[in-house]
Amino acid sequence: MAFGIKRGVRFNILSESDLDRIHWGTLHVLEKVGVQVDSVACRKLLKDNGCEVDDKTRIAKIPSHLVEEALAKKKSSVLLAGRDPKYDMKLDMNHSYMTANGNGAVAVDFETGKRRPSTKMDVVNSSRIIDYLENIHCHWPMVSSTDQHPSVVHLHDFDASLNNTEKHVMYETGVTISDAKDLTEMGYIAAGDEKEFRRRPLSSCLQCTYAPLQHDAGVMDASLYFAKAGVPLVFFGMPQPGATGPATLVGSLVVGNAEVLSALTMVQLSTPGAAIIYGMGNAPLDMRTTIRAGGSPEHAISSAMATELAHHYGMPSCVGVSATAKTPGDQAVLEYYTGCVGPLMAGADLMCGVGLLEDSSCLYYEQIVIDNEIVGAIARLIRGEWASDDTLALDIIEKVGVGKNFLAQKHTMEHLRTDHFMPTLIDRRSFDAWSQSGSKTLVANARDKVKWILENHKVPPLDKDVQKKLDGVIDKAKKSMWGGESKTQ
Amino acid sequence: MEDNVTRLRNAVINYEMETIADLAKQALKDGVDPLVAIEKGLAEGIKTVGQKFGKGEIFLPELVMGAEAMKSALAVLEPAVPKGKHRSTAGKVVIGTVQDDIHEIGKNLVSTMLSSNGFEVVDMGVNVPASDFLKKADELKPNMLAMSALMTTTMPRMAEVIIPLKKKNKSIKVLVGGAPVTDTYAKEIGADGYSGDASGAVDVAKKLVR
Repeated sequence: MAFGIKRGVRFNILSESDLDRIHWGTLHVLEKVGVQVDSVACRKLLKDNGCEVDDKTRIAKIPSHLVEEALAKKKSSVLLAGRDPKYDMKLDMNHSYMTANGNGAVAVDFETGKRRPSTKMDVVNSSRIIDYLENIHCHWPMVSSTDQHPSVVHLHDFDASLNNTEKHVMYETGVTISDAKDLTEMGYIAAGDEKEFRRRPLSSCLQCTYAPLQHDAGVMDASLYFAKAGVPLVFFGMPQPGATGPATLVGSLVVGNAEVLSALTMVQLSTPGAAIIYGMGNAPLDMRTTIRAGGSPEHAISSAMATELAHHYGMPSCVGVSATAKTPGDQAVLEYYTGCVGPLMAGADLMCGVGLLEDSSCLYYEQIVIDNEIVGAIARLIRGEWASDDTLALDIIEKVGVGKNFLAQKHTMEHLRTDHFMPTLIDRRSFDAWSQSGSKTLVANARDKVKWILENHKVPPLDKDVQKKLDGVIDKAKKSMWGGESKTQ
Repeated sequence: MEDNVTRLRNAVINYEMETIADLAKQALKDGVDPLVAIEKGLAEGIKTVGQKFGKGEIFLPELVMGAEAMKSALAVLEPAVPKGKHRSTAGKVVIGTVQDDIHEIGKNLVSTMLSSNGFEVVDMGVNVPASDFLKKADELKPNMLAMSALMTTTMPRMAEVIIPLKKKNKSIKVLVGGAPVTDTYAKEIGADGYSGDASGAVDVAKKLVR
């Protein structure tokens, strides 16, 4: 019988008073500086609710009480459902989930090793890999189907994802109202109908705000649509400390927080009680190379602090990790490990995401399975330990006694699978055994695993009539944008 | 009869450490030939367990539990084997950790792995003086003598056994291992085989004892 409460490991960076100061500072920024709102509909919404809005500069100054009221309407627990209910994610601030990274435009061909524009087949393959991996819980279309008709690339990405994983699919391509309509319709079709989708949303949309302190018109119009349609949203701030935010990580957190809270305010005014996840990915600009420093310790600690702030508000968090490495292996491992371990130890609910290099732009199949291993190790770090009769094992210690070993104890067997991380890529064999089987590196092992998954892992496709309806949405979207003419396909 | 033997085999496969001795007693009571019970029951069972471990399907504790189950049943069945008859094995191995060294987990793993691969293993334990190794080798005439040392300070003890042993009986193969031991060192002191880990030790043993 279970006795006592299972504890998870959680470290704190910010104190309660730090969090209060960040919150009050953010309210100050929203009231005094304001945010730029490009959407006419959103400006009207804010004006009607008492904000000071300048239609010329498009700057809206949002009074504190509106933000506090919006926060009071938030959802503290968000369900992101999978096609197979065993993959349902309940973002309730007590679980952590890992997602794939998304929307790169380049892939390194698994067969030829050539770096080339990504294709729909890359989306298919990476979706199947994500479906197989035990430590990745949520799928994102990892790259764009750039070989498809330009007007419907994002719909092909979603289609390939829905067909090749039974895990929840989060996209970040709903950036206009028409995109939002098509993506929502496809989600409804995959779920069965609108009612079923609202009950168990199979897909969701991540929306980026624009640092510092700006909201794109298309993104916000689409967001209002998604919220009304029951599609869960993530608002994801991304100020780069030193460039589009202050160099201090807390200062950039205030900028990102002002963006996320103002987006939240607009959506909650339009659809009270909408499912919104608090997102942030503040990686500094590397001042020597002008590249965003994804996977840096600053990125990790910013994501950890954003998680603390989200939880302070009673909202689940979605925070970022990435890597600037160009190839899988040493640098990528160091960056992904650093980037993941900080936020996950701080209790990140949704951590996005694995498998892309060159700061979320290039898909390397091998890195997906390497990152799966990294997350597995970190999952063990954050599980927590507790002293109970069973874990203390005094009876077993007494039974075995002095100078013997614990190998032949049932207790050992029972706890092996739950208490010890079993790596699949890390090679712990002796030098002799390792060298006799080819002295393989981690990356070579990852390659073997990818090969095995692609050859063996089958994902049940969607029903034929569901697929037909999805094709119909894509066809219709293609025609409407290009006046009935296909220019490339 | 067949049932008794099958049950013994399955008891090893299912790690029934506590109850297998009773099964063995029952088998003898029912008139099962103890040699058949050992060879077709226990040995077949542990072979299955060993294969599963080799394929990565089960973990070390399961292998050890299987070996422990076999040991408890052997303790009942072996005394019942008529004098002059011997069970057929992959070979007889005397194993131990050298004098002044009490680190035995690695030696135990090798011991378990060898028995799960059909070897008859006589484990002398730890802190075994050279004279005891030599006496035992003389008495049992094993196919192989296996020694382990975990410390650089105790490694030379292995040579103390090998030199007189080889003078007296060249046919007994010597396998050495332990964290500081290397292939080169093993050759230097005149050992016939070396392995860096327990699984490798089985392969080397199979090559040495043919």
